[in-house]
Amino acid sequence: MHANKRILWISFSLLMMFTLSAFAALPENEKCMNCHGQREIKSIAGNNVYIDPAKFVATTHAIVGCASCHDRVSSDHPGDGSAPTRATCGDCHGPIFDEYSKSLHGSKARCNDCHNPHDVKLPVIMSGDEINGKCAKCHDTRKTLQNHAKWLPQAELHIDSLLCITCHTGSKDYVITMSIESRQPGSKDVFKSATYEELATLSKMEDIGRLIDLNGDNLVSLEELRVFNHHLRGKNMRLWGMMTPEIVTHSYQILENRWDCSFCHASGPKAMQKSFLAFPQKKGGYTRLAVEKGAILDILYGTPDFYMLGSTRSTPLNIVGALIVIAGLSFPLGHGFFRLLTRKNRKEDDHEA
Amino acid sequence: MKHKEMVYMTPMPVRIWHWLNAFGIVTLCITGLQIRFPDYINIFGAYKAAIRLHNTAGVVVSISYMLWFIYYLVVAKSLLKLYVPTLEDLKSGILRQAYFYFLTYFVGKPNPHHSTPDSKFNPMQNAAYLVIMFILLPLVVLSGALLMYVAPLRELLLLLGGIKMLVGTHFLLACCFTAFLFVHIYLATLGHTPFAHFKPMWNGWEEETVEDTLPTKDK
Repeated sequence: MHANKRILWISFSLLMMFTLSAFAALPENEKCMNCHGQREIKSIAGNNVYIDPAKFVATTHAIVGCASCHDRVSSDHPGDGSAPTRATCGDCHGPIFDEYSKSLHGSKARCNDCHNPHDVKLPVIMSGDEINGKCAKCHDTRKTLQNHAKWLPQAELHIDSLLCITCHTGSKDYVITMSIESRQPGSKDVFKSATYEELATLSKMEDIGRLIDLNGDNLVSLEELRVFNHHLRGKNMRLWGMMTPEIVTHSYQILENRWDCSFCHASGPKAMQKSFLAFPQKKGGYTRLAVEKGAILDILYGTPDFYMLGSTRSTPLNIVGALIVIAGLSFPLGHGFFRLLTRKNRKEDDHEA
Repeated sequence: MKHKEMVYMTPMPVRIWHWLNAFGIVTLCITGLQIRFPDYINIFGAYKAAIRLHNTAGVVVSISYMLWFIYYLVVAKSLLKLYVPTLEDLKSGILRQAYFYFLTYFVGKPNPHHSTPDSKFNPMQNAAYLVIMFILLPLVVLSGALLMYVAPLRELLLLLGGIKMLVGTHFLLACCFTAFLFVHIYLATLGHTPFAHFKPMWNGWEEETVEDTLPTKDK
């Protein structure tokens, strides 16, 4: 591969992306997808070389175009018998490639083992289940659970509420990302991320964000969350929250501070103000809406099924609790004060309680 | 004339339960404080240590509660007699006792209730213990047990209104127990000496001042 030529290609394609949007790359992609978009297509060696057009079109790789990575496809392809060249991920994603290579995971798996370049999505347009699903391809969920249960209290609950990369990379800027989960009516199955079709049926609208964002202002208020949670009752659905990083890194490592529960649990309500609601999209992937600041700290109906010990405590509830304790404390103080003032009135044997 | 008598007021199983329960509840309150406010309070070092201790104390209190219940109901057979207030208690006993605590106590009048092994509690204590032992303690034990196993008991949690409802209930109940501790310890100092009510809970025997029943030679 001629690196300079590839960089030129990428620069050109990015320029196209900003000027002519994706249309510049589309005719060329279309040419490739005419064959590779056919489910039964096989290479000369018999390998499946099918690319799901719907998934590919949603990737940023579709914008830079097929030829950016496969730049030596002859005009006789596939008749010439030679396999097209492939760029390495590091050619474009150099810093990420270096970071990953140096990490604990670098020698265990290649980029392609986790990311299919024809179906790659940014973390913010993926559900938590999808991201963890990539890890589960190699790391058996049952064994993962058993290993974590050796030291982590309520391991199942933690694994349900966290991305693996939250603890196992140096990712940062954590937020709570909520999504709607569903299960079959009458079943005791685990909840799974609700599909676009399910939510479209429920909302009877194409823009399923309006299911919660009732006024369509692209911000989910606490009141809208409450209404939605009320609406969910008896529908075998729930609003589930996961702690997700905004800045994702590939620095896979065992971080010492993650053994300490206070890393998350002592972050305090101030760190728990920012949250989002993720909705599945018709063409795959997710889009997210910002949620009113502090909504997940609401006592009951903001997120009835999501609670992070120590961090998502509610201030109004703390005030009620403090008043109860103060009431209990005021009795000995008040009574004791008058008891002291009137101590001469009591003979030793006559006043026992 | 009056004389002192020693009365065996508190049987050993009840004393063991009481101190086990007291130690457990104090531990639960302190560890609970760290669990809820870890960014401000760190008494037991690691957060996990506070949670483990909280869970262990919760199990100890739950088991001791069951033993207490079985002892009074089956062995001593005095559960209802001791803990359920009579109609008279509800009509006037509670008011009379409150009148004593908040007024006549300060002018030196005697306590209208006299404790005996069969009637240990005054009407106010009766009503308070009824609520605490039969409503608040079972609720805090149950909510705590559910919170220890959130994932396996998810269905039950959803039926009860979700985890936040449960956490909120557990927290407010814990605040009630903390408030109760202050009142309970203070009231225990209102005997004829400040430690008069602590002793029977330690060795079982309470010193009573009673009127002589035998006629004197002068009469």
